[in-house]
Amino acid sequence: MSSQSYPGGVVIANPYPVDQVKIIQSPLPDKVVLPLQQRIGEEALPCVEVGDRVLTGQVIAQTEDHFCVPIHASISGIVTAIDKQAIPHKSGLKATCISIESDGQDEWIKSQGCGSDFLHCDKQTIIDYIQHSGIVGLGGAGFPSHAKLNKAIDCHTLIINGTECEPGMMCDEALMQHHPREVIRGVEILLHITGAQQAIIAIENDKQEAYQSLLMFNHNDKISFAQLPTKYTSGAEKLLIKALLDVEIPSGGFAADKGILCQNVSSVKAIFDAVIDKRPLVSRIVTITGDALTPTNVEVRLGTSFEQVISLTDVNNQAHDYRMGGMMMGVDIETTQMPICKITNCIFVNNKTLKQPAKECIRCNTCNTVCPIGLLPQQLYWHAKSENIEKCTDYHLSDCIECACCSYVCPSNIDLVSYFSFAKALDKKQTADQERIDIARDRFEFREYRLDRNKEERSQMMAEKKQALKEKMAKDKEQGLEQTDKIAQAMARVKKTKEDNV
Amino acid sequence: MYSTGLNTNQIMRQVIYALALGVSASYIFFGWGIIIQILLGVFSALVIEAAFVVMRGRPALESINDGSAVLTAVLLAISIPSIAPWWIIVVGVAFAIIFGKQLYGGLGSNPFNPAMLGYAFLLISYPLQMTTWPVDFSAFSQAINIIFNALSFDGLSGATRLDEIKTGLSLGNNLATMQVYSTSQAWINAGFLVGGIYLLARKVIFWHIPVAFLSGIVVMALLVAVLDSQTHLPVQSHLMLGGTMLGAFFIATDPVSASTTPKGRLIYGFLIGVLIVVIRNYGGYPDGVAFAVLLINMTVPLIDHYTQPKVFGRS
Amino acid sequence: MIESVVIFSGLTLVLGLILGYAAIRFKVKGNPLVDQIDSILPQTQCGQCDFAGCRPYAEALAKGEAQINQCPPGGQEGADALAELLNIETLALNEEHGESNARHVVYVDEKLCIGCTLCIQACPVDAFVGASKVMTTVIEEECTGCDLCIPVCPVDCIYVREINPTLLTFVPTIPGEAHV
Repeated sequence: MSSQSYPGGVVIANPYPVDQVKIIQSPLPDKVVLPLQQRIGEEALPCVEVGDRVLTGQVIAQTEDHFCVPIHASISGIVTAIDKQAIPHKSGLKATCISIESDGQDEWIKSQGCGSDFLHCDKQTIIDYIQHSGIVGLGGAGFPSHAKLNKAIDCHTLIINGTECEPGMMCDEALMQHHPREVIRGVEILLHITGAQQAIIAIENDKQEAYQSLLMFNHNDKISFAQLPTKYTSGAEKLLIKALLDVEIPSGGFAADKGILCQNVSSVKAIFDAVIDKRPLVSRIVTITGDALTPTNVEVRLGTSFEQVISLTDVNNQAHDYRMGGMMMGVDIETTQMPICKITNCIFVNNKTLKQPAKECIRCNTCNTVCPIGLLPQQLYWHAKSENIEKCTDYHLSDCIECACCSYVCPSNIDLVSYFSFAKALDKKQTADQERIDIARDRFEFREYRLDRNKEERSQMMAEKKQALKEKMAKDKEQGLEQTDKIAQAMARVKKTKEDNV
Repeated sequence: MYSTGLNTNQIMRQVIYALALGVSASYIFFGWGIIIQILLGVFSALVIEAAFVVMRGRPALESINDGSAVLTAVLLAISIPSIAPWWIIVVGVAFAIIFGKQLYGGLGSNPFNPAMLGYAFLLISYPLQMTTWPVDFSAFSQAINIIFNALSFDGLSGATRLDEIKTGLSLGNNLATMQVYSTSQAWINAGFLVGGIYLLARKVIFWHIPVAFLSGIVVMALLVAVLDSQTHLPVQSHLMLGGTMLGAFFIATDPVSASTTPKGRLIYGFLIGVLIVVIRNYGGYPDGVAFAVLLINMTVPLIDHYTQPKVFGRS
Repeated sequence: MIESVVIFSGLTLVLGLILGYAAIRFKVKGNPLVDQIDSILPQTQCGQCDFAGCRPYAEALAKGEAQINQCPPGGQEGADALAELLNIETLALNEEHGESNARHVVYVDEKLCIGCTLCIQACPVDAFVGASKVMTTVIEEECTGCDLCIPVCPVDCIYVREINPTLLTFVPTIPGEAHV
């Protein structure tokens, strides 16, 4: 089935191709480090303490609201620490993590699920199982899957994103090749939950074995396949929907509004594991690639350190540059003492090279010709550089998906995307600051008003009291009681009291 | 990681290489003058740019290595008469680099095309030297003498064809009595046309500006020829005389001073073409490429503002 | 000669009338400059600028009776923003008015509080909750970090807590300037 494409994007050859896509099973790690802050949502609160023994799949932390997913122990063992550790984030900041030391037994907790008879399971129950199993978008966005499903309960089309457009990544490809049955069954679960009329599995046309593999296991009429031309950013949700269905989701809108649900193929397999095999999300497939080793995929428990995962490959002994995520949208990291998270889909290990310096922007506009959203990265660059957030908003900064196509083609080697993330973070900070300042001003003005009002009320009360006293004195005068008489009477009273006491 | 496409330095160099054909044509007809002017210009450009970059506190070698100063100098050297005195090119390059580039903040920050700014400055300040063009081949020693020692040789200098036509028209003659074609100019323009096509093929420049530029010339020339074909040059003359092809492929395509949006580039190129024909026919100067480019450079922010492309997800 | 006098006098009269009409018809009430300055100031109401709050400082700035570099909580960015608004040269922060610290809030050590309410009376934005002989605490979201409460507390039970960037509020730096 052919499909339309979308303008923009870049065709990038796979820098590290392999003959055969394999998956290495990683042995159980000795220790795992599980961050409490997931990509989306608030930081979870631990529900275990240091010294507790936990089982694989046991919930060890969750947030108060129902939007986020809980965090599970990925191995069985003792909780050794709940403290700040390094996590793979571009800020380099540390975050609170729960560290568990393995007891080597990998004892699983009994979890809930539907089993193979999911068709007779209530839809909302299945979604609750998905939430409780900690499933988020494993394509890299990390959006809680149950929240997406809740919004798309009555959608008409399901899109299963197996495009894996980032050059060099092959974890989804490996999954589709080696676990096609689980993927198809997972799609059927989603069809059941959403009641959709069709499911389209989108694959890039350079992944023929994966396509054939899935085709062999598909006997469901509602599931069809779409082969897209291999082009980077074909996997971005809104662009994929445009390419497959020619529907343009408006800026700021959601696919669910148009009755479409998009799920990554790894998330679908995780849903299968949760609903049918009753196993929460504790492991994932990670691609390890780069010019320092033979690229491969590793199935590894969440929380395993990068170092341990890389040691399973044939990495050479030279100094390396590390990158978490893809070649285009990934984040350069300094050390490999970091844990694998739910959204860690790829690790690049490259021999250290000198970074090319950036030159001036020559306004050649090549960036605009490749931007899949049709933005003007060059204008955004100039305005972000001068911190003019208002102008950035005029040029639709919020629509930027940070795909880095523009940085890739820039003849002056300018890292454009870093300017845009900077501008977005600055915009967020300035908006929050402005709100805070406005509230402070309001409170200050109210306080001034309150103090003035108190003063006025007080002086008014005093004036009324004075008036009442004056009237009373006038009335006494009428009755013949002079003030001096009153004073004389009071003095007499005092004298009498004194005489009595003596 | 970055693409395997051309980087900025390579882009500048490719443009310089593409000029080779047109320059060779000029050498064949008019001799060594142009080569000497180019060498002089490049040398002054490198020295002046390095000096200014160091004054601004940036590393000198990297900046002159990017080739943009060299390109400006070469373009200016091609635009001026090849037998102009040596100080013309030096002063012109100095003005172009200092006032056209460095004072705005260096590469990427200038609103005007530096080579054309230099040319306009020279034309207005030194009209005599800038309108004395070669009419015949000058040997190496002759060229050196003219350029450095201000000697003049009979029969080697005069006006350009466009200049002659303009003078003739102002005297009241009509085109039928004049030669509207010039072999040397035609070959030089053809040389630059081929160079320009090479740049298009190598994807160093995009098609929008040259096509729009030439369309602008064609449309306007046809329009005015309809009005009065006796006193207005035909289209093919406009295309093959003066700096048309150099302007279309090498000058108007300067990315820094041109419009940046695709639609904007079409409008930009078209307006320049139209304005060139207007200046040639109704303006005070025989060739209008420089002034047309500078005038439309001024309107670039406006053009950019109103030709923004459609953003995905917004109607 | 006489024609030019007549023409120019006529022009002056007409233009003067137009300007006078515009001055009356389009008169702006209040002083918008003070509002604009006030919207840049951080509203800490700390008084470090030697004025009784942000609004009096804004009014003094509008009248030209104060310098733009007297506000430590606004930082150098605040001074630069004021310079841009007022179209004057920017100045470095005047250290005599205090140090420009990172954003912070205060909190009460509840074990030591005696309920004297002096801090409640001192706070310019009413960020304290408490009453006489009842324990007092700070509403963290409302605290502007002006520190006016710290010196008045008789038992020194008010402390400073810095607000550090979190994963969600982190602002990255722009990559280094391009060469030339």
